[in-house]
Amino acid sequence: MENIISRNKMIDPLKIKFKSDNKINLSEGQINREYIVKEIRTNDYELKKFLFSLGCYEGEQVTIISVLSDNYVIIIKDARYSIDKNLAEVIMV
Amino acid sequence: MKLALTGNPNSGKTTLFNAITGNIEKVGNWAGVTINKKEGNVKGDLNKTSENIVAVDLPGAYSMSPFTSEENITSDFVRNENPDVIINIVDATNISRSLFFTTQLLELDIPVVIALNKSDLNQKKENTIDIKKLSNKLGCPVIETISTSNNNNGLQSLIEKVIEVKGKKQTTPFSLKKVNMSDSKSVEKLDIDRFEFVKKIVATVENRKIHSNKQTKQDTVDRILANKLLGIPIFAIVMWLVFSISQTYVGPVIADILVNWIDGFYGVVEGLLGENVSPILSALLLDGIIGGVGAVVGFLPLIMVLFFLLALLEDCGYMGRVAVIMDRFFKRVGLSGKSIIPMVIGTGCAIPGVMATRTIKNERQRRTTAMLTPFMPCGAKLPVIALFAGVFFNGAGWVGTSMYFLAIGIIIVGSLIIVRITGQKNARSFFIMELPEYRFPSIKRAIISMFSRAKAFIIKAGTIILLCNVTVQIMQTFNWKFHVIAEGAENTSILATIASPFAFVLIPLGFGVWQLASAALTGFIAKENVIGTLAVVYSITNFIDTEELTLISGSTDVANTMGLTSVAALSYLVFNLFTPPCFAAIGAMNSELENKKWFWGGIGFQMAMGYVLAFFTYQIGTLITTRAFGVGFIPGAILVSVIIGYIFYLMHKGEEKAQNTIAYNA
Repeated sequence: MENIISRNKMIDPLKIKFKSDNKINLSEGQINREYIVKEIRTNDYELKKFLFSLGCYEGEQVTIISVLSDNYVIIIKDARYSIDKNLAEVIMV
Repeated sequence: MKLALTGNPNSGKTTLFNAITGNIEKVGNWAGVTINKKEGNVKGDLNKTSENIVAVDLPGAYSMSPFTSEENITSDFVRNENPDVIINIVDATNISRSLFFTTQLLELDIPVVIALNKSDLNQKKENTIDIKKLSNKLGCPVIETISTSNNNNGLQSLIEKVIEVKGKKQTTPFSLKKVNMSDSKSVEKLDIDRFEFVKKIVATVENRKIHSNKQTKQDTVDRILANKLLGIPIFAIVMWLVFSISQTYVGPVIADILVNWIDGFYGVVEGLLGENVSPILSALLLDGIIGGVGAVVGFLPLIMVLFFLLALLEDCGYMGRVAVIMDRFFKRVGLSGKSIIPMVIGTGCAIPGVMATRTIKNERQRRTTAMLTPFMPCGAKLPVIALFAGVFFNGAGWVGTSMYFLAIGIIIVGSLIIVRITGQKNARSFFIMELPEYRFPSIKRAIISMFSRAKAFIIKAGTIILLCNVTVQIMQTFNWKFHVIAEGAENTSILATIASPFAFVLIPLGFGVWQLASAALTGFIAKENVIGTLAVVYSITNFIDTEELTLISGSTDVANTMGLTSVAALSYLVFNLFTPPCFAAIGAMNSELENKKWFWGGIGFQMAMGYVLAFFTYQIGTLITTRAFGVGFIPGAILVSVIIGYIFYLMHKGEEKAQNTIAYNA
């Protein structure tokens, strides 16, 4: 239980702190343009690790292929994933 | 010798496992179908040695450092059970991700053989991989496989290679720097190096014609199937087709033939018994066994066709897209888009449905889904629906359809309630799902799935249901002194005295008679039993007509025998569908919820839901039809208010918890 609560914190203090830098999050990105991941902005360590094992970490390419039903289809390595806005906002490019 | 099958999710491990062992484990075209390890012996025609090879199919993993519980099973097995050889199944269309896991496997000092699977898909895309070079760079054999194909699939050479490398040492191509594994920074650095190493290999061995970040036909199809506006109607049409084909068009046609056979058999046995046979034996044999079991078996074709169609649906890659379109709605009620997959599977059978919840990472979403999936009317509940629609509503189609909509409504309301009780209304969750490539569904696999289901169903009918019907028949023939009960004194039978206390509680729901109560009770053993028991207790030997799903003996006759108004019948149907599922599904819930509080909470919630819904159906329905409340309104209303009040109390407590969490985080 503890785990979920800490994982699902509503307000991410990091997010406020870095608001003024020149990174955008993936939900603000353009379709069909290749981006380089600059940061995975979350304090959820497990999520970060999971994204890493898919090949989504600093310095890697990511492309948005389409927006479907409020979800984003992105390409990491050679696979297509559908992610929601919450997750897209964590991936800074 | 022991052989471990490992690889990324949806790389085709189970398909390969089935192909080399001849087993028929469940496969699907989305990530995370296998959730437990499964074992099987490698077929004799592939294994030329005298030694037995046990293959173990493991759940998919992206990495040896586990993120999900299924990944845990995989890394634990590989680390602790010392397999002799590891087959690493690598999806040829995505080696740049898959080889990361491969490099970790190569460090375990167990010989690894790579099965470069889906090589046919790669050829289709005109991508090439230099097998020789790849094998050299990694220091392990690489065999191209197409496990979906029957011949020329590379499986023979794969097994030969496995036998050849057994007992050899495995070299590691990737020089492991000595890092402090407890320091997360240096482990991170090591993993980045690992990916860099993989990148270099991929750059030299792979030649892609089209870069994978370009738009393809698949993306165009996705844009239609997972379209914001079109997605839901398309999904509704697909599901409507599945149900109307299985229940209205193809299923009943085959059912007719089967029912004719059962009728014929009944007649033959009746003739054989002759006039002078003891009435108890004849009742037991004809009404108890043939009548009860026959009533259930008559619905087999409907279920078979349903499973055939669901298998096609699971195989083609559409399920992943359904999860995408449903995510934005399910998110609003506190579930994940992935919750739709267990529910769709649950329309076939709740057990695999509940097990499919494991792909949901968020614990609360996973447990909520496991708790609510059994509300979806499963294949075993179909006969119950069909029977009641046939007897009381002239086979009206709206009865079945409305039960599915009611189920969806319950699931929505249920998840809204649960998210509040757990105090996580404001919790933030993430959704990520790999979109598998579409493929033409395999007819062969769908047929296998259909027959394995049919087999399980027939076995159930021949064992549990048969036993239940015989027991019910005996219990209603004798009283507690084991005397045959006299005509007109049916309520002194063992069955009647056992079921009567339950029947008492059911009075406010409109069906407080022991016959119906006992049928509902046997329904917990298997939902088809409701039909079997009704057939036995009311001595109605044949329920379904050769034309349409109405009754052979005339639906009005049966309706009269049961002595129910249509409103009470609807209430009884609602009660049977939305109380806890059969014991087998309850067992599945128990193992997936992994928590006693959740489990008993779930059972209590299902019980309450069934009771409250049946109460409202009966009382409101009676009010509309007769302008007066039905029997037992006041005690029922008190009980229902207590139940609803308690749920509101729990929700209120949860809300407080949510407020505290916000205060804590702010």
